[in-house]
Order: sequence, then structure tokens, then C-alpha cells
Amino acid sequence: MDWDCQFRGACFDGSDMSAVLHPVSPAIQIQDLRVDYGKFVAVDDLTISVPAGEIFGLVGPNGAGKTSTFKVLATLMEPTYGEVRLAGIEIFEQPEAARRVMAYMPDLAPVPSDLKVWEFLDCFAEAHELGNAAQRRERIEECLDLVSLADKNNVFCKTLSRGQTQRLVLAKTLLHRPKVLILDEPASGMDPMSRRQLRLALRNLAADGATVIVSSHILSELSEMCTSICVMNRGKLLAAGSVEEVRRVLGRTERILTLGVVERVDEAVGWLQGREHVAEVRLAGERIAFSFAGSARDQAQLVSDLVQEAFLIHALEEQRSTFEEILLDVSGSNAAAAPNLPLS
Amino acid sequence: MSDTPPAFPPSSPRHWWSNPIFRRYARSRLRPQALMAGLLVVGIIAAFIYFGVRTGFRYQAHMVEADAERAVLVPLLIFQAIILFLAGTGQVAAGITAEADEGTLDYQRLSPMTPLAKVLGYVTGLPVREWCLFGITLPFTGWALWKGEVEAASWVPVYAALLSSAVLYHLTGLVAGTVVKNRRWAFLVSIGVIFLLYTVIPQAAKFGLVYFKYLTLWPVVDENIAGMMPREAGGLIRLAKSLEPDVRFFGLHFSEIAFTLFTQIFLSLTFGMMLWRRWRRAESHLLGKAWALGIFAWMQLMLLGNALPLIAPGLLFPSRQFNRRFFREENWQPQVSEAVVMIGVYGAVTLLLMVVLTLIITPGTEQQITGLQRGRKLGWKRLPPLSDPASSLWIVVLMAVAGAAGWTVFSTQLLGSEWFAGHQLVPYASGAFLLVLLGGGLICQGVLEAWGGQRFFLVCVFGAVLPVMVGGIVASVGDRSLTAATWLAGVLPVASPVYAAVVLVPTVDVPRDVVRALPRAFWFWQVVTALATGWVVWRLREIRQARRALVYKEDGRS
Repeated sequence: MDWDCQFRGACFDGSDMSAVLHPVSPAIQIQDLRVDYGKFVAVDDLTISVPAGEIFGLVGPNGAGKTSTFKVLATLMEPTYGEVRLAGIEIFEQPEAARRVMAYMPDLAPVPSDLKVWEFLDCFAEAHELGNAAQRRERIEECLDLVSLADKNNVFCKTLSRGQTQRLVLAKTLLHRPKVLILDEPASGMDPMSRRQLRLALRNLAADGATVIVSSHILSELSEMCTSICVMNRGKLLAAGSVEEVRRVLGRTERILTLGVVERVDEAVGWLQGREHVAEVRLAGERIAFSFAGSARDQAQLVSDLVQEAFLIHALEEQRSTFEEILLDVSGSNAAAAPNLPLS
Repeated sequence: MSDTPPAFPPSSPRHWWSNPIFRRYARSRLRPQALMAGLLVVGIIAAFIYFGVRTGFRYQAHMVEADAERAVLVPLLIFQAIILFLAGTGQVAAGITAEADEGTLDYQRLSPMTPLAKVLGYVTGLPVREWCLFGITLPFTGWALWKGEVEAASWVPVYAALLSSAVLYHLTGLVAGTVVKNRRWAFLVSIGVIFLLYTVIPQAAKFGLVYFKYLTLWPVVDENIAGMMPREAGGLIRLAKSLEPDVRFFGLHFSEIAFTLFTQIFLSLTFGMMLWRRWRRAESHLLGKAWALGIFAWMQLMLLGNALPLIAPGLLFPSRQFNRRFFREENWQPQVSEAVVMIGVYGAVTLLLMVVLTLIITPGTEQQITGLQRGRKLGWKRLPPLSDPASSLWIVVLMAVAGAAGWTVFSTQLLGSEWFAGHQLVPYASGAFLLVLLGGGLICQGVLEAWGGQRFFLVCVFGAVLPVMVGGIVASVGDRSLTAATWLAGVLPVASPVYAAVVLVPTVDVPRDVVRALPRAFWFWQVVTALATGWVVWRLREIRQARRALVYKEDGRS
């Protein structure tokens, strides 16, 4: 991993938080990006660098600023201010050059109802000047194969299912072999098999040197797919880095420990109650579950003390914060926090 | 559909029509089934027009064959205009809105094509079926032109203007479709805008604003139609036409076709600029401030250039045009009241044009705040004055000055002509004209910029529409209520230019009660407008400062 993450003044609500990532060779460079919708600040001084070959996940609850960030990256929206470079191209100075090296797939991507699949793709193959008709046809077939739609090339786009439509738009984004792919919820509407194909396709692209920035609400999937992620909330960056790093920074410090004890179970419950860092001790079947908020050393000490007390321990499981929990916590903080200060 | 369809059409060499957007619509809108149905219907109608009119004139009116063929041309021209102007423009407006509605427009935004190529692709691609339908009528026209022995000098200008008008109308539809979000509304709005631009506004030509008539096809049709009519009818039209002037622009003379094309190209360029700005950046104003000011000054130049040379020969006056139509020119003399109306219309049109451009270039609250945020980040002391988020106040002031200058020149030249010896503008007329334009323009600009479009709409309803309605009701009570009606109608900003004309050109052609009330009403409302303008400008300044302070306080600067 090429990340070197430095977090300054990290705090959970992200009020004074910025992540400075020092990539080896950034394919996506966002510097001080801000997007305003009148009085509402959608993206607030976002700074991210993503090196080439990464699959970078953008995570956050609704209204976090993901789609606004993607639209700016895709040159569909001018930000209030900020600099964005894609594959070294300053996108606001050279938008047409940037469009040649990147591809954008919007959330719930639409397709024109009056075109056939090959016509839809050929329109963009022509716009990207992918050669003569035979060369374009060859490339279209490749892309349709990649998303398992080769047998649909001569049907009207409107006859495709939601998942097939998503795959068709993915094929469109791959047509011109972009160096940077910007995918907003690409897996929405796809069946499990298609999702798996998408994951494999993205990994192959990344292996070939393309950089993928992707958002998804299916966070377990994102954690499997991405080599690094960043979490946004209310327009601000909360944390960025590898999946484990983000979990460590944003996850809850307490975890659920489940203890399997042979005999003297009730006695063990009583012994645990009242111990430091231990809370919510309960019996779950034949096991004892409790919340533990201490450090790893404290946890080791607890296990050692249990053994010294002659409890016969046959199992110990630890359950950490999932991504879903992290996101729920972040969303929960939105409800508690004051709304953005109006500007007039 | 076969089980194993041929996936792709055979390779073909690149054609002139290789614009991807054009080809996209050529594929979807020229599918054989739908196209053939359209061609069949249009072909049948064109054939009906051709054979019906030709047979009628040949056997009922006993015309010679060539004249019967010529009689077909105008009905066919009307049918062709309906296909291109109405169906084509509606398709352009609705098509671009549908793309935006479905979300597929963003794909085209992301295509690495220049904004100009995208505009060309849409303006040629969206109405491609209508052009084909137009094409199916051409054999009938071609045959009638050939058999009717019509000279190329007659039909070429008409068809050149038809084609340029079609492109202009389609560009209008594209602009309407780009601005309006709802696809059903887009069709209605585009047809409404076209009706306004090319039918209603050209009527101002009858009141001295000759330039506006060159927005339409009619001057060219008017000039050349005689050569396309049956020779007997054409002779009469040619005789009437010989009495009409050619196009004069200050000291220059142009043919109708040249000046019409020139005018339409200018308008097409303006629409092209609007679309280019929107394609480049979706949040842009349709026109930049410099462009808007340039267009305003250009329109003043055009209005004066076409109108002034027609004053001395008397061709500018509506009554003269009316008398010429009925060959009653002897002892004709324009009335002073006619000049007053012309001066009033000039001012009203100038004010309306200024308001339309102000609506286009004035930034909304969101845009101002975004601009201020950007300025704060980039360390600007103030926003670049010609940028979209910058205030449009000074541009409106400059437009008012240019408008007042044009209005004064028009009025001075009109009243200084030999037709109105002994009459002249009062010395302070130019100041009064400036006051009228500044008042209307700055209130419009200030309300829009400070409080937004909804508040502006309310001001229009309560400050313009209601007083006129009440004034109309009061006026209908009887002569005694004319004074009250005159006072009420004076609130309307567009009425101010007309009031100014009556006040600044003393004449006895209006009712005595009105003569007595009008100057007082005019000056009273000018004072009220001036005070209101001052207050709006002061409030606007305060609001802008507050917005700036709130944005800049984020980093402790102000």
C-alpha cells in the first residue's frame, strides 16, 4: 500500500479534520474542493490524492457530498473553488482533455430509450474517435463481453432490466479505456452474480493501471472491493486510508467479547460484573457476552485473570465495529449536530 | 428479429455527417417504419396541395399551364414552413428537454467534443426527420418551379431565407429546450418564443422600428413573391412592390435578402453563444454581461440605422404606409400625434429589451454567494465586474445611457424633420429619457439581485399589471374618470416612455383632461420611481455587503 496517512486533530465530528495523503503518483488529485448550493455547503475543503491503480471507495451517508464530488470530478459541475487533476490534467482548464482520460457512471444510470445497445455505444465510440466502424465494432464487442451483454447488442436499451442497464452503462464507461473511472453506486440494481463480475472487472482494470473511484451503500462490498477508502460526512472528510485504518480511526473503541466457559457460568457472570472496562454482561445461550472498552493489553489482562480464577475457558470471540455501524454512527451524529450555519 | 441478428451494420467510410450526435439522432429518428409513415402522410398532403391547386387554377380559373404551376408554389411554401418551423422547432425543444429529463444529456456533456460540435449535432440531428419530410415536398416544388418557368432570382432568395429561418427557429427551440426543464412546457415555450420573436415583435416595424421586420421571412417573401405567383397576379404585386423602398441602413442600401440573412445570422450567433455558454458550464447565464451590453448597443444602432433614412421620404410613418397600400398618397402629411406614438414605442421597446437582458445577466442569491466564496478563497478584493456572480447594476446603467442616447437621436431626428416644422423636443428631453430608463431598469435589476425572481414577479404584478387593470376599469366609467385612469396607468414602467413622449412633445391631439393630468402624473411617478430606485439600490448595497461579510467572516476577513 502506497498510502501515508496523516490525520491532524482527528475528531469524530470532523470539525477540524483533514487528511493529507501522500501518494506515490496521484491519478486523482483534489485540493481544497468546495461546492456550495447557495447557503448549503455540500463539499467543504476536501483534499484527497489517489495514486494510479487504486480502487478508492467514497463512503458516507446521504448528503455527505459524494455525488457532488463525483460531479465535479466528472466536469459536470463547477465547484465554488478548488483544484482537481485527473491523470495530471487540470480539469477546469482542459475539460475536453480530461474527458478523454476519464469516464463517469452516474447513480441509477439512464439509457436512451430510442436506441439499440450497439447504437448507444457506437455514439460514444465515435465521440471518442475509436477508429473506423470495424474498429469501433470490435471494441464495443469487447466491452459488451466484459459485462456479459454480448447477446443483447441488437436489442433496444429500453428492454433491458435495471441490472443490465447498469452493466450497459458500465460498458459505455469502459469504451475508451479511461485512466480514471468515476462510478457512483455502480452496483445498484445488480444481482449477486453481476456484482461479483463488477468486482472482478474493476480489479482487472486497476491491475492494468486504471484508477477507480467508487461509491456504494453496500459497505461490506465496498470494503471487499476497495484498496482504500475515505469517509465523508456533511461535506467534510472524516478519515481516509486503508479499510483497517479507517475502521481504527472511526470505529467504536468498545467491542463485544463472547466467552465460552465450561461450568461455573453464573459465577463467571458475577465475577465479570464490576470489572474495569466491562459493561452489559449477559448470558447468550451457553456463552457470556459483554462489552469491553479497554485496550488490547487490558483485554489480555482480563483473560489472564479469568484463567487465574480457574474458570475453564474454551472460547473467546471478539466482534469489532462493522462499516455499517461506522456509517450509522456517522449518520447519527448528523441528527445530533446543528445544521450548517446559513450565510445570510 | 432473427435468432442471431447481425450485430453491427457493415463498415462504411466516414461521411460529412460524421458528427456523433447527428448520427445518434439519424439512427433513432430515421428508422424505416416511422419515417415511411411520415413520408407517406406528408407526401400525400403535398400531392393533394399540388394537384388540387394546380387543377383548380388550370380548369376553374382557366389559367395557362405555367401560371397554374406557379399558383401551387405559395401553398407548398406554407406547408413546408409548417413542417420546418413548427414541427421541427417543437422537436428540437422537446428533444433536448427529454434528454435532460432522462439524464442522458450528461453523457453528451462528457463527450470529448467541442461545445460548437455539440450544438451543431443537436441542431441538425434532432429535427432530421422533419428535414426528410421537407425533402419529400421538394419534388413538387421543383416541378412547379420548372414548369412554371420561375426565375432562379425569385425562388432562390425565398428558399435561402426559408432555410436560414428554419435554422434560426431550431436554434431558438434549442435555447428554449435548454432553459425549460419540463418537456411539455419546452414545446409550448419554444413555439411561444418563436411567435413572439418572429411574429409579434416584428409588428413594431409598423411604428418606426423597421429593423425588427428583418427577423422574419416576410421581407424576402414580399420582395420575391411576385416572381413566384401567376404572372397576372405577380404583375400587380410587382407594381406595388416597385413603390416599396429597399433596405436602407444609414447611407447604405441593401437587398432584402442580404439584410434579412445578416439579421438572422446575428441572431443565430447570439443563440449559438447562449448554447455554447450552457454547454461549457451548465450554471452559466445565457449571456455574459459584455455580450448583453454589446447586443443592446447593437440593437440601438440597427434600429436607428434602419429608421433614420426613412424619415425624410416619409416612409417611416404608419399612416404613409397605410396610404401607399391604397394609393392615397396625395396631400399626405404625418400628424404630430403619430410622431409621439412612434417616440413612445421606441422608448417602450428599448425599456423592454433592457429588462429582458437584465433578467438574463442578473445573478441570483446562490450565484452571488458561490462567487463570493470563490473570491474569498482566491484572495480577490472584489468579483471581476463582468463575471456572472458580479452585480449587473453598472451594466444596466450603461444600457440605460445607451438607450437614452438612441431614443434621443430618434426623437430629435423625427421632430427635426421637415414634416414637423415648428415642433421640437424640450431641452431636457434626454435627461427625462434617461430618468425613465434608469428607473425601470434599476428597479428591475435591484429587486432581482437583492430578493430574487419571486419578489420580482410580485413587484411586476402589483406595480405593473394591477394598476393597468384598475386604470382600464376606471377609464371605462366615462370621460370624467380619464384623469384618475391616467394617474393609475402612469405607475406602469412601460407606460413611462409613452407618457414621456406626450409630455416632451407638446401636442393638442389628446383629450383635454388627459393633457392636464398627464404631465403631473408623469413627473409624480418619475419622482416616486426615482425615490424607489434610490431605496432599492441602497438596500441592494446593504444586502450585498451583508452577504460578503458573512462569507468573509469564515476566515476573519471582511
